[in-house]
Amino acid sequence: MHPAKQKHTFEPKIIAFVCTWCTYAGADLAGTSRMQYPSNVRVLKFPCTGRIDPVFILKAFQQGADGVLVSGCHPGDCHYIAGNFHARRRFAVFRKLLEFVGVDLNRLQFSWVSAAEGGKWVEVVTDLTEKVRNMGPMTEFKELATEEQWSGAINTPELKEAFNAI
Amino acid sequence: MSRIGVFICHCGENISRTVDVERVAQEVGRLPGVAFSSDYKYMCSDPGQTLLKKTIQDQKLSHVVVAACSPRMHEKTFRKAVEAAGLNPFLCEMANIREHCSWVHENIEEATVKATEIVGMMVERVKKNRVLPTITVPVTKRSLVIGGGIAGIQAALDIADAGHEVVLVEREPSIGGHMAQLSETFPTLDCSQCIMTPKMVDVANHPKIKLYTYSEIELVEGFIGNFQVTIKKKARSVDEDRCTGCGVCMTKCPQKKIPNKFDQNIGMRTAIYIPFPQAVPNTPVIDRENCTKFKTGKCGVCQKVCGPGAVDFEQEDRLIVEPVGAIVVATGFDLYTIDEKPKGSPIKGYGEFGHGKIPDVIDGMTFERLASASGPTGGKIVRPSDGKEPKQIVFIQCIGSRAREKGISYCSKVCCMYTAKHTMLYHHKVHDGQAYVFFMDARTPGKSYDEFWRRAIEEEEAVYIRGMVSRLYQKGDKIVVMGSDIAVGVQVEIEADMVVLATAIQPQKGADLLAQKLGISYDKYNFYSEAHAKLRPVECATAGIYLAGACQGPKDIPETVSQASAAAAKVMTLFSKDKLEREPIVARVREAGCVGCFACRKVCAYGAVEEKEIRDRQGNLIKVVAYVNPGVCAGCGTCQATCPSKCVELDGYTDEQVIAMIEAL
Amino acid sequence: MTSTLIDTTIYAAISEAIQQEAKRILTDGQVSTIVGYAAARRKGSAQPMIITDAADADKLIFTPACVNDLVVYLTKAKKDIPKKGKIGIVVKGCDLKALTGLIGESQLKREELYLIGVPCAGVLASTFAPSQDLTEESIAPKCTECDAHLPTGCDFVPTETPLTPELEKKYAVEIARLEALTPAERWAYWKEQFSKCIKCYACRQVCPFCFCEQCLCDRNKPQMVETTPRPAGNTAWHIVRAMHLAGRCAGCAECERVCPMDIPLNLLNRKMAKELKELYDHEAGFEVLEKGPLTMFNEKDDQSFIK
Repeated sequence: MHPAKQKHTFEPKIIAFVCTWCTYAGADLAGTSRMQYPSNVRVLKFPCTGRIDPVFILKAFQQGADGVLVSGCHPGDCHYIAGNFHARRRFAVFRKLLEFVGVDLNRLQFSWVSAAEGGKWVEVVTDLTEKVRNMGPMTEFKELATEEQWSGAINTPELKEAFNAI
Repeated sequence: MSRIGVFICHCGENISRTVDVERVAQEVGRLPGVAFSSDYKYMCSDPGQTLLKKTIQDQKLSHVVVAACSPRMHEKTFRKAVEAAGLNPFLCEMANIREHCSWVHENIEEATVKATEIVGMMVERVKKNRVLPTITVPVTKRSLVIGGGIAGIQAALDIADAGHEVVLVEREPSIGGHMAQLSETFPTLDCSQCIMTPKMVDVANHPKIKLYTYSEIELVEGFIGNFQVTIKKKARSVDEDRCTGCGVCMTKCPQKKIPNKFDQNIGMRTAIYIPFPQAVPNTPVIDRENCTKFKTGKCGVCQKVCGPGAVDFEQEDRLIVEPVGAIVVATGFDLYTIDEKPKGSPIKGYGEFGHGKIPDVIDGMTFERLASASGPTGGKIVRPSDGKEPKQIVFIQCIGSRAREKGISYCSKVCCMYTAKHTMLYHHKVHDGQAYVFFMDARTPGKSYDEFWRRAIEEEEAVYIRGMVSRLYQKGDKIVVMGSDIAVGVQVEIEADMVVLATAIQPQKGADLLAQKLGISYDKYNFYSEAHAKLRPVECATAGIYLAGACQGPKDIPETVSQASAAAAKVMTLFSKDKLEREPIVARVREAGCVGCFACRKVCAYGAVEEKEIRDRQGNLIKVVAYVNPGVCAGCGTCQATCPSKCVELDGYTDEQVIAMIEAL
Repeated sequence: MTSTLIDTTIYAAISEAIQQEAKRILTDGQVSTIVGYAAARRKGSAQPMIITDAADADKLIFTPACVNDLVVYLTKAKKDIPKKGKIGIVVKGCDLKALTGLIGESQLKREELYLIGVPCAGVLASTFAPSQDLTEESIAPKCTECDAHLPTGCDFVPTETPLTPELEKKYAVEIARLEALTPAERWAYWKEQFSKCIKCYACRQVCPFCFCEQCLCDRNKPQMVETTPRPAGNTAWHIVRAMHLAGRCAGCAECERVCPMDIPLNLLNRKMAKELKELYDHEAGFEVLEKGPLTMFNEKDDQSFIK
């Protein structure tokens, strides 16, 4: 039924922030329809994309996410009338900031997926997963996290081992 | 210290086929804070729920995570079960390992790992869940209905018949609205006033309806279940309790030639007047702007001849506050006019039709007044300019409507039908008259509508010309109509005795100001916005406010009455309980941290954010902070994402809960 | 190396005008307090000063060393300013933009303020001694992009006209340079800059828009941003602050001035301002806006980045 799955060396970690009424429902529909897609994504449910704070995206990258997806209702369809309009502006601005600081925006995807678009959910998740897989792990924030300011260099084998264990 | 109970559901084979549920239960059981972790075949079944309840009590669980299908499926089910076991329902979360895991991944190892992570994430989240008690808002079981046209009347009667008090506020001296102005109504041609006046009288006599006419809404405060509405009762100059409706004052009034708005200004009235004979209430009003007594200080004849002594020149406007629990907005419509609009107005007039200055070019409502038996001409179709009977009338459809270049893109829905009706009324009254109709399309979708329309053509000899009119101009005492007949492909010119324009339906003047007082949304034409175009057509996004009739969009009488009853049903649902129960997923402001920048208020689509003064014990003002009304907040959380210091938190989706989930991954 | 001198001859007349006005409004009781600049101890330097006595009006000055944004004293240090009566404040164009933004966010009321606007040709950069001449080289980078030399809508403005030549817009040039790099190169640049940060929070303390009673980054339940001065925590702090200022920052560049580690903070804020102008045609100005760009929306907003 399925072609033999290719063995990958790198499995990206994808975190998705979605709204309950549209995208989460769309993902449910993909499940009900038994559509198959890569298992790398972890979905966090919010009442509305309006609730999604840019800090969450930052936190996700800091926690080791290789790719982040933010998805909600199409403009005009927001269950809470205008939450996604505010989110749209907020994220248009935030991604410009991240881009300026040096984050590769290919790792950050935004989408509108409605409750009827199970297929689109699968497409968006698969596209992002494969794109990020080809890009490799996101090292920027991980490297930053291992750097200390005052103690300077990690210059003994014991220190090196200790840091690698984090 | 948390004692979390984790229940992994097999869902028959739906989950267990691709997820090793026992392994997940084991792995999750090792997480700190998890006191109980086990798998079960069907958690949503009766025995499954019993297991859940029993385990909560036996194991003294503090929180519950049910890993099964989508929360959209069974969150309510499990929260109810948890509540029955004595735990606050919001301490129960679901982990979706079916729709988002077992059903979409075939590889057992991958699916199991993912399921474990998902459950682990929800375990960390649930640790940050707080007890959220249900929000109850008391409900005042009285309703306000704004507008006394057929929509307002129907809604008021339905609600009052259900046993609840209704306050009906109407701007004009009488209820009845535009329907009272109509002559006969489609598709049955029964007399409009004959079917309406019994309802109007019912309203006047109903023990549960408090009628305020010649009154306007001054101020609306409060929220669903608890509105305080200030009504301005304008001074009629007549004491309603004393007046017997004998009408002597009107016969003696010396000012007899004031254009009567009800008769579309072709009929005249006196300064002390009732708008039409069947007016409800049958109490006159003095038009102070045109009354000799108020203008010059002389006259006062009406007071002298009034037997009961009801005329009161000293009467003043009054402000009355009425507490209500729900508001039905039924303010109706106004008709578009072709006159020249002010510079910069998005809506344009029809210069090509003379901007309304050509005599005997009238609109549909004026034709209704001519045709009406109780109208200014006693039902005779005559030209307003010279009183002669027109032998050729040209009716033009879609004036203003469907005209993007004039600023109105929508169709006004009722004009195809009423123009067909007009041709028939004209034919019945002027047997040798000829009606021409210039039209683009015939929109007649209702029950018996198309048959009615065809009757106009096939039986009543109306000539329908498919084409538009480019210009009207005066030629002697006739009006030349220049149009086209696109079926044949020729230019047509008709010398008409009268032209009737089917003008667009627009919301009432001042609709936007009223909407701002109520806090409801409106579109660019000032029609009021419903909460959802298909599934919630009679409610506003603002809780507790409902819509009925043409104020929401052009519609005919059957639709208006349906919508009015629908709005009334919504009100009755609201009133069916003494207290309104709401899910406690609402935002709350941490007042200690709030600096009153009100960014939250700017983004709240529901108007749920209010100002709150924080004072010290001496009563000095310390600061003004935001306050979220738990009766109005819909729980989207946009406020929290906008607040820079996150002083407003959405219960159920706090930053703590979210960060716990991210950090668990 | 000689650098073009910028004409500051009008500053003396401006100082006098301020002194006279200050004396007048304090004497007749129109205001109870005035926040302005006075000479400080180092030669040529200026410091903020709050006066309540008309006799002190002569202490007020305006020179190229008047770099502070006095508007911050109306927000955070309100406790030092008496609550009775109107407050007078000396504002340059950039400061006035911040003040306007604060009125829009309900932090200040226009009727409680007496605005003394100053026509400003520019102030000195922080890396130059205050006694130095104001030249093309020594002028603060923010002044090279200024469009607000003459504040409007104030209660009093001296009649002098500032003359500032067209200067190379320093931030625009640097932003363009960074935008032309690859993401990895940009990351390396900012990593180096943010590593310098010692989390002194001077940028936050001096910013008029950082008026939150408790900064998000000081909270630990949950901890959104790490507080230790490690590169990871510093990066997060600066990203979050730049995001919170987007659409609000008036470009007074005080953050950059006070940073002891010379991190180019205003570069981030100017980049955000550029994006907001391009995306939503928003600019900080002298008109009070009912809603900022991130508290409103347009149905036709750009969504080219959304699938």
